[in-house]
Amino acid sequence: MLKVEGLESGYGTMQVLWGADLEVKKGTITTVLGPNGAGKSTLLNTIFGLVKPWNGRIILNGEDVTFDPPHDKVEKGLTIVLEGRHLFPSMTVRENLILGAYTDRAMEKLESSLELVYSLFPVLKERAEQMAGTLSGGEQQMLAIARSLMTNPDIVLMDEPSQGLAPKLVMEVFDTITKLKNEGLTILLVEQNVFASLEISDYAYVLNEGRIVLGGTIDEVKDSEEIKKVYLGL
Amino acid sequence: MRFFEKYASLIPVLLIYAILFAIGISFPGMWQPVAFIMFYITLGQAFNIFLGLTGYVDFGYVAFLALGAYGMAIAVDNLGGANLGYGIILIGLLLAILMASILSVAVGAVALRLRGAYFAIATIGVNEGFRYFVEGARLWGGSEGIIISGDMRNIFGRETANFISTFVSDILVFIIAILAAIVTILIMNRRMGYALMAVREDEDAAKVMGINVTKYKVMAFITSASFAGLIGASAWTLKMTYVFPSDVFLITYTVEAIVIVMLGGAGTLMGPIVGGLIYGILKYYLSITLPGFQLLVLAPLLIVIVVAFPDGVVGALRRRLTGNVKKYLR
Repeated sequence: MLKVEGLESGYGTMQVLWGADLEVKKGTITTVLGPNGAGKSTLLNTIFGLVKPWNGRIILNGEDVTFDPPHDKVEKGLTIVLEGRHLFPSMTVRENLILGAYTDRAMEKLESSLELVYSLFPVLKERAEQMAGTLSGGEQQMLAIARSLMTNPDIVLMDEPSQGLAPKLVMEVFDTITKLKNEGLTILLVEQNVFASLEISDYAYVLNEGRIVLGGTIDEVKDSEEIKKVYLGL
Repeated sequence: MRFFEKYASLIPVLLIYAILFAIGISFPGMWQPVAFIMFYITLGQAFNIFLGLTGYVDFGYVAFLALGAYGMAIAVDNLGGANLGYGIILIGLLLAILMASILSVAVGAVALRLRGAYFAIATIGVNEGFRYFVEGARLWGGSEGIIISGDMRNIFGRETANFISTFVSDILVFIIAILAAIVTILIMNRRMGYALMAVREDEDAAKVMGINVTKYKVMAFITSASFAGLIGASAWTLKMTYVFPSDVFLITYTVEAIVIVMLGGAGTLMGPIVGGLIYGILKYYLSITLPGFQLLVLAPLLIVIVVAFPDGVVGALRRRLTGNVKKYLR
């Protein structure tokens, strides 16, 4: 569904990604693990187009979208939940969601997307008329995920969705991600929380110093030497 | 009914314009202050389409007014003998839009790739750079500018030329103000308005939602610049009958435009009108009662207002209003 080949990118003259390869299969959760500064966020932002790729290819549903701007990718079914939520705090929950369904692709499915989102996150329905800025941290993260679903995506990139949340809420977020998979969505996840993310994922990649050093099914990655090396320095 | 809801907020705007116009023509000596205030209201309206709707501050904005002023002057100066009558003014206005929008495309294509504060800094140079370019390269008469009073008398005769300078130019400003209000509400009611709202609140979030951020910023920029060009052509060239680079490339007007929009309420329809009214009236009467001190008094006053109403007067009012009245005030 999503294929990344030899992806290179960076900021200014500093190269961060040195040829990353990965594949995300339809209907699965794929996690990218790696220590701080490995380039995980850069990888997601480059796939989405917020950071311009220098080299390599990004293939979405068999189509080369390497240099498509973000808004075209959204129209083709890709979206991202950014690190740090990026909500519109002075708008209501409902307004955030409606505004999220901006593209033609999203507007067609506005009603059913809203229904799906409210069934996944009943709390957002309760608080529909409340300002997004007044929600708790966990609820804000739910809203950020919900708003991304309003774009009617096939595949969702998620950057550190559990960041800054209490342990109980972290589990809630991971439960939610599993629910999304059950709804037929494909998810590419970047997480610091290794154990929780391995638990819900089907495939995992390990990113270190801008390169994918390991990839495979969860069981293959879990017991590998590489992951011990990267995380424990063994 | 839906249509009425969407455009009801135009009613108070047009009402204010009508009242100002009535005061201007009914009371002797009032036309001049009304025209003075209308200039600021219209400037605020035009600038609001960019600053208010996108949240980006353009410190080089006055350059668009200046180019509009030159557009009109060049048209009159070069086509004066062509016997076009009032057609020459139409050509001047079109040339004003053309020149201002060409500059806005050039500036926008480069500077609008930058975010917030970086954009503001990048645009500071545009106005000053263009002024020195005109003077240094002796473009359009260089620092001597273009004087069209003779051309105007030749084309229209002394009486009509006077009438254009003292009345028609001000009427044009009124028309521009009405058009700017209509365009503002059209944008706000359409998808472009929602896109810009998202850009203003959080540009990354807007991108995630699939909004073509650059496209809408550039569109707002060109629209705003075109109105600026029209204002320069009417309120400056037609009224003064001359264009000097040192007069038109004056950053003071940019600062005044920013103040008016912030004071009234950025991104609202009524904001620049309220801001322009307050600023125009204060400036006009302070410069009569306390000549030379008007800016000194305005500064602390503006600070107080900006601290007390961070969303501007209209933003603060809207917060207190509910239900039915709210749709008339946007």
